[in-house]
Amino acid sequence: MSVARPLPHDAAPLHVSGKARYVDDQPMPADTLHLAFGLSTIAKGRITAMDLARVRAAPGVVAVLTADDLPFANDVSPSAHDEPLLSDGTVHYLGQALFLVAATSHLAARKAARLGDITYEEETPILTIDQAMEAGSRFEDGPVIWSKGDAPAAIAKAARTLSGVLEMGGQEHFYLEGQAALALPAENGDVTVISSTQHPTEIQHKVAEAIGKPMHAVRVESRRMGGGFGGKESQGNALAVSCAVVALATGRPCKMRYDRDDDMTITGKRHDARIDYTVGFDDDGRIQGIEFVQMIRCGWSMDLSLPVADRAMLHADNAYLLPNARIESHRLKTNTQSATAYRGFGGPQGMIGMERVMDHIAHALQMDPVEVRKRNYYAPADTAVPDRTTPYGQEVEDFILHEMTDALLETSDYSARKQAVAEWNAQNRFVKKGIAFAPVKFGISFTLTHLNQAGALVHVYQDGSVQLNHGGTEMGQGLNQKVAQVAASRFGIAMDHVRITATDTGKVPNTSATAASSGSDLNGMAVKVACDTIRDRMAGYLAETHQADPATVVFADDTVTVGAATYSFAEAAALCYHGRVPLSSTGFYKTPKIEWDRVKGQGRPFYYFAYGAAVTEVAVDVLTGENRILRTDILHDAGTSLNPALDIGQVEGAYVQGAGWLTTEELVWDARGALRTHAPSTYKIPACSDRPPVFNVALWDAPNREDTIYRSKAVGEPPFMLGISAFLALGDAVASCGTDYPSLDAPATAERIWHAVRRVADV
Amino acid sequence: MLYRPESLDAALALMAEPGAVLLAGGTDVYPALRDGMPPDRMIDLTRVADLRGIALADGTWRIGGATTWTDIVKAELPPRLAGLQLAGREVGSIQIQNAGTVAGNICNASPAADGVPALMALDAAVEIAGPEGLRTLPLHTFLKGPRQTDLQPGEIVTALLIPDGPGRGAFLKLGARKYLVISIAMISAVVEIGAGKITNAAVAVGACSPVARRLTALEAQLTGATAADIPALCAKADLSDLSPITDVRASADYRGEAVPTLVARTVLTAMEAPHVA
Amino acid sequence: MSLSISLSINGAARDIVLDDVRVTLLDLLRERLALPGTKKGCDRGQCGACTVLVNGQRVNSCLTLAATLDGATVTTIEGLAQGDRLHPVQQAFLEHDGFQCGYCTPGQIMSAVGLIAEGHAGDDADRIREGMSGNLCRCSAYRGITEAVQDATRRMTAQAAEDAA
Repeated sequence: MSVARPLPHDAAPLHVSGKARYVDDQPMPADTLHLAFGLSTIAKGRITAMDLARVRAAPGVVAVLTADDLPFANDVSPSAHDEPLLSDGTVHYLGQALFLVAATSHLAARKAARLGDITYEEETPILTIDQAMEAGSRFEDGPVIWSKGDAPAAIAKAARTLSGVLEMGGQEHFYLEGQAALALPAENGDVTVISSTQHPTEIQHKVAEAIGKPMHAVRVESRRMGGGFGGKESQGNALAVSCAVVALATGRPCKMRYDRDDDMTITGKRHDARIDYTVGFDDDGRIQGIEFVQMIRCGWSMDLSLPVADRAMLHADNAYLLPNARIESHRLKTNTQSATAYRGFGGPQGMIGMERVMDHIAHALQMDPVEVRKRNYYAPADTAVPDRTTPYGQEVEDFILHEMTDALLETSDYSARKQAVAEWNAQNRFVKKGIAFAPVKFGISFTLTHLNQAGALVHVYQDGSVQLNHGGTEMGQGLNQKVAQVAASRFGIAMDHVRITATDTGKVPNTSATAASSGSDLNGMAVKVACDTIRDRMAGYLAETHQADPATVVFADDTVTVGAATYSFAEAAALCYHGRVPLSSTGFYKTPKIEWDRVKGQGRPFYYFAYGAAVTEVAVDVLTGENRILRTDILHDAGTSLNPALDIGQVEGAYVQGAGWLTTEELVWDARGALRTHAPSTYKIPACSDRPPVFNVALWDAPNREDTIYRSKAVGEPPFMLGISAFLALGDAVASCGTDYPSLDAPATAERIWHAVRRVADV
Repeated sequence: MLYRPESLDAALALMAEPGAVLLAGGTDVYPALRDGMPPDRMIDLTRVADLRGIALADGTWRIGGATTWTDIVKAELPPRLAGLQLAGREVGSIQIQNAGTVAGNICNASPAADGVPALMALDAAVEIAGPEGLRTLPLHTFLKGPRQTDLQPGEIVTALLIPDGPGRGAFLKLGARKYLVISIAMISAVVEIGAGKITNAAVAVGACSPVARRLTALEAQLTGATAADIPALCAKADLSDLSPITDVRASADYRGEAVPTLVARTVLTAMEAPHVA
Repeated sequence: MSLSISLSINGAARDIVLDDVRVTLLDLLRERLALPGTKKGCDRGQCGACTVLVNGQRVNSCLTLAATLDGATVTTIEGLAQGDRLHPVQQAFLEHDGFQCGYCTPGQIMSAVGLIAEGHAGDDADRIREGMSGNLCRCSAYRGITEAVQDATRRMTAQAAEDAA
């Protein structure tokens, strides 16, 4: 069988030879127009005059559009219709699109777009969490509050209490391929859009609204993305809609891509947040009650902020049983980029709040932080306990972190290394080491229940080759390869007989975004259903012609065995074709068991949980705050892995990205609301030399208890949060400089660490 | 129009008319040019043979202005110039080092230019050719402020001149990441040692003032010091010549406070061993 | 005002007329010569996605003005394989899974070819990581990248020794 094998990406030969095409690599007709936005230079206010004469007169300019020139919907929001493509006269953040330029070259469009003469009536922007809280600037009427038990009473009764605050920064996706789209006008006023998007159906939907046509007039194709990470779930809408509108207005193909600084200035990022916590616990470190206040900075439009903030609440418990909990969530509206989906989708923000509490309790009790964590873990699966309920009412039925923790502590030699770190720190004044363990329990399913569906389209051709299409998109995670492995396994054929084509709304309709780690869970199942439909038809026909029982027909090793006869798969396909058997089928899957009332905060939003655990050791130079990760050990639960090589790649990459979020990746806005870190010179993602020099990653090899595709588990997002262990290890190193709790904020840049050392050591 | 002169005289002749943009590695030029009007004339200096190469004559190292950082990193140079070579290894990436030139680095006059502290600690002078002939002035005089130099219209930086000598150099950079960083602060030191004591020291600090500065008071105090004295001397060094600022990379506080530590480490590294691989 | 240059790209002589001296090698390759394998990541020399070899040395093609390349030899990712036979570095990236989304891969591979030619790093992982630090990979496939460079270095060294013998 092809599943469970460590096969490389399906496009690997294309990637290494430079032949893999991305949107901007598509050959385009000579009359193609190139688009660029003119951007606002203030964060909040009203436009009193917009003189675009110089823009129109610039070399190469063919058309200049403002909101008034848009024929139909002026909206690219994925949620609340609150995100005009071009400003309606008000400005909500610095970098907002005000007008659109179409020119004969990318450079001509870009240069012309900078020539707009805009007069504003400027207002004072709301930029920070404090400003937004004070002004009551928020989405929804008030904070969302979910509770379990009576947290204030439990805290009041507890033997010990602690309070604290954790601030964390946002994160730029920095997909190496910037946002890009192109549109080709078709007959009948229809349009074909090729987009670097995680969500072709959303692009189709927004383009249809913008051109005033039903969705059937728009076909959207996404071959691959040069990285997505959530940043291409909704942020590509503006480019695709612009291209489609101008293509239909001019009759010419249109292409748009953001230059890097524009991309960073315009598009949304991970939500930054502040979490206030108060926890009551006993002398053994067991939590009695806890209160979280999560303040999430959402930016100017709603985008996906509500489900992101929900997911932060849904992960406020991480892996721990909270007998009494109260979680209050503020979704703050600010005059900054509209924060959007980013790997983990709020989960990392919620989870790090809980891990901070664990760390703080351990420090207060002078206990090993791992011990505190284990005491608060949910009960192991299949044990009888009175309470295994999350704060939102879901029973944690599949908890495997007890076993995983013990295994990782063993393989990482945690105890001995913890001892060695303590000895090192006793002997060294200027370089301190730290070591930390962090677990992850991440809920799998879209919390918007209806999104948990997927479709597929599979064709078997008469020569036995198989072409398949599904609603998921490929952004490097290897989804296409995993799904192809499923198809090859169902038909018992070799991988080279299977070809996956670009995601296409004309082939599989009404797809959900490739997000929430759901890609292979949903699409793998849909493909399996389609393959099994065709296989059953083939088996039925061949059994009939051989007087055999269809159940005895075997598809394996590129052959089909029916009774005494054995055919190659190609021969079997040809026989079925001549027997007039339909060799094409759709497949459909919807996730079972889930139900969720987000207003009450009660139900089963997740089909299952994915687990992981990491131990990270770091060294900190206390005089400069400079730091390095020395070693990382990870044990991650991918269920029965569909492809261990791809899954380990996901785990490693996610960890490094998570550690980057919490260490070097710092976004800085100035007092005017301008993002100052809008280029890789100032925004620092991990480079090759930043990867841990010792990096041991293993998969926890056990089947998913739920009936997922080959009992695998989703793996895109959960390991991102293993990066929290790096942040905790830095805190551990800082804590060794004194007796106070360091209360390190994120990102823990060298400078923040340096400040924390001075606070703790009081030097 | 782009001109590619092959001799210095030809280059100077081209410079006689105003409005020309000089280009060597181009790593700083292109990003600055991209969104403006095309320059009338650009002059590519990379083919002027005299401008490239490293040679020792009469006790002076002459590094041609169009010498790339890769050339410097690879060159066989005495331990005194080790700080310059280490700085070269941290200029951007190797792709940048292969194209970027030493004259480009100083003419661009960024407060965070990697090459400048090392050159200053080496008492480098700038050799400039112009309509009036050659002139030479100290690097610290040449650099007048951020993005400002003493280069006059029609002039070309032809070389950096560095006195040869004993001693060892070192370089340290504080940044967000290990490589590919623009510096928060950087230090270069050159020390000469006799009988375990410093007999002569030069220390320069970059990215903590509009133009990199030598710490002359500290240099005097370092004379006669042993390795054991260094941390204490540096901790109470007079840094009043520095004026670190707060920007997106770091706060002024942090820059100011990290400097004594970095200086001590750089001096100690220079005292220990040459470290160029 | 236009100017003409002649250069060799992937072994083929090309005569090119430029209408703006500011055309970068990257734009020339992608937009004029139908060689889109070299990628535009940041367009300011900070990500390495556009790395190519000029006269055997790796450079960021986004910072290299095409006009300065008269007489130069340029190698891009499209010029590395010999027919269907992949270059050892390409083969190593394939075998070690040195990528996820693939967008930085052409730049990583060209940078690795340059690094190996420079001959400083050998198969030392730390030196390779330093030497490859000008090529960002947001998917963080750095393990595969480092291992691929180590492996390719060993293979190419062995091959060179064999050829010499």
